[in-house]
Amino acid sequence: MEKRSIKKDALAGIIKKVAGDMLVYAPVKEEDGVFFRALGAGMEPQTTYANTKNAPKNIFFPHTEKMMKYTRTDKGMEFVENGDPAKDAVLFGSRPCDAKSFTLLDLLFDQEKYKDPFYCDKREKTIVVTQACVHPPYSTCFCTSVDGSPTSEAGSDVMLTDMGDSYLVEFFTPKGEKLLKYFGDAKPDAAAEAKKKEIAETAAAEIVSHIPAKEIKPILDVNFEHPFWNTIHQRCLACGTCTFLCPTCHCFDISDEVKYDDGIRVRNWDSCMFPMFTQETSGHNPRPSQKERWRQRTMHKFKYYIDMFGAISCVGCGRCVMYCPVNIDIRKIVTDISKL
Amino acid sequence: MQNPYIPYPVEVIKIITEVETKDQKTFRLAFLNKQDEENFKYMPGQFAELSIYGKGESPIGIASSPTQPGYIEFTVQKAGVVTSALHAMEEGTKMGVRGPLGNFYPIEYLEGKNIVIVGGGFAFTTLRSLINYMIFGENRKRFGKITVVYGARNPGLLLYKDELEAWGKRDDINLNLTVDKGDATWKGREGFIPAVCEQVAPSSENAVVIICGPPVMIRFTLPVFFNLGFSKENIITSLEMRMKCGIGKCGRCNVGSKYVCKDGPVFTLAELDQLTKEY
Repeated sequence: MEKRSIKKDALAGIIKKVAGDMLVYAPVKEEDGVFFRALGAGMEPQTTYANTKNAPKNIFFPHTEKMMKYTRTDKGMEFVENGDPAKDAVLFGSRPCDAKSFTLLDLLFDQEKYKDPFYCDKREKTIVVTQACVHPPYSTCFCTSVDGSPTSEAGSDVMLTDMGDSYLVEFFTPKGEKLLKYFGDAKPDAAAEAKKKEIAETAAAEIVSHIPAKEIKPILDVNFEHPFWNTIHQRCLACGTCTFLCPTCHCFDISDEVKYDDGIRVRNWDSCMFPMFTQETSGHNPRPSQKERWRQRTMHKFKYYIDMFGAISCVGCGRCVMYCPVNIDIRKIVTDISKL
Repeated sequence: MQNPYIPYPVEVIKIITEVETKDQKTFRLAFLNKQDEENFKYMPGQFAELSIYGKGESPIGIASSPTQPGYIEFTVQKAGVVTSALHAMEEGTKMGVRGPLGNFYPIEYLEGKNIVIVGGGFAFTTLRSLINYMIFGENRKRFGKITVVYGARNPGLLLYKDELEAWGKRDDINLNLTVDKGDATWKGREGFIPAVCEQVAPSSENAVVIICGPPVMIRFTLPVFFNLGFSKENIITSLEMRMKCGIGKCGRCNVGSKYVCKDGPVFTLAELDQLTKEY
């Protein structure tokens, strides 16, 4: 594995230099938080931030995305072209939890049969540069409970680790090595490996939230009808914030938009929290109340995804916990389920 | 990379109004490119997304049989935005089809067995595909006795009337039509599907029953077949859910860990017993 060492104050300059050559997404400070944005002229990439408010999944799976274009002819609407092809890009500064979410989304979108071309095109062309969490930023972080860690390599092509006065830069994949030229020639010193190991241990030890996420699958297997499901949804507003901020939520809607003779078919994020999500034309709704929708969300993350792909569909980023307007806490739900 | 979201272009070459109420029509679609027709290799029980640019898509069971080359057919109930737009179409219009999607009736398992087909009302479409497949030419020899029980609320609501007449004349199908209530011209049977199944009483020996219909019909028909000795492995049905992508990605049609669009829509009762009752 190639490794480099850079001075800490050099990082922002490197990000900007890469941005001069290709599309770069980086954390940018805005009025109410830090967000991943495509870096444009005059925008300052953040290098010291806790985590972004939005998950970076929108880089591969945009909030709204054109799937195809069509136009009206005298015989009806006809197909014109596909959605726009992806550009080579770099995602700078994802946290290890968010980088891991890509490996979970890959399981769904990058299957042998029915490969999702929109997601896979962007995913293949994007280099993921992750910043390790030397000090896990929030009390709501629980990555270590869901097979992650503050220094997990999963989903990252390159990882930056804050070593105090320098960044250790590790290139995990050939894709990541395409960025080698931007990081100079300085190799990390002999002590770096041991120090990285120490950081990994102390960072993991700083995580304060621990939940039995890996233990509840057998309980969920047999408790679909348990009265427990009557106890979590009452205060839910069905706003969908948890699903929109979640790095692993992938549900979408497909709709058509037409203006005069031209139209596009787009896919937009959808949410299992919304009443219309499963509403059928006949009026029948298999998930008629917020109770069934919460059961679906919980089951999907901690049971169905394991049945389908062998992995929990949660990376422990804690965004749903932090931003739920009525303080529904997935950590409490998981803990309560473990006691059923 | 094959893009599973792009529909094949097709032309509506024939529209048949199936029922008196005029809200169920069969659309015969021909592929504009010969290659697409070859790529669209399907089996009875599968469905496809009917795609109308500017309106959207609707998942509909394929009503034609793979033994009918040159076109595919869908019988559509006028209900929402897409199906209403379809019903307003004229022959010669171009539209799209995306598929075939989902699994299909287990033809290999059905071979050598006696087949009972029970259909109620509008849910007869993919059963029609299966019947036409089984009775086509040399295919007929691969299956044992074929018993069909098909009913609608009244005679005007029976689909595929010409075919029903032709099937009635064959001696290798036991066709039993019924209506809830007849009219002046109806000389056939009157009665609900479960009662007719009881009267017809097909043997469960080496037999499989495939049931599609409204939930209330299925609920009262299942006990009849349990009493006749059919095991849950030999009772097959097809589920419906709201769908968008049709390929197990958009996340809305799951029943437990199974996506109806990808792992279904065809399930045995034994398989359904393993799933949650969220459909």
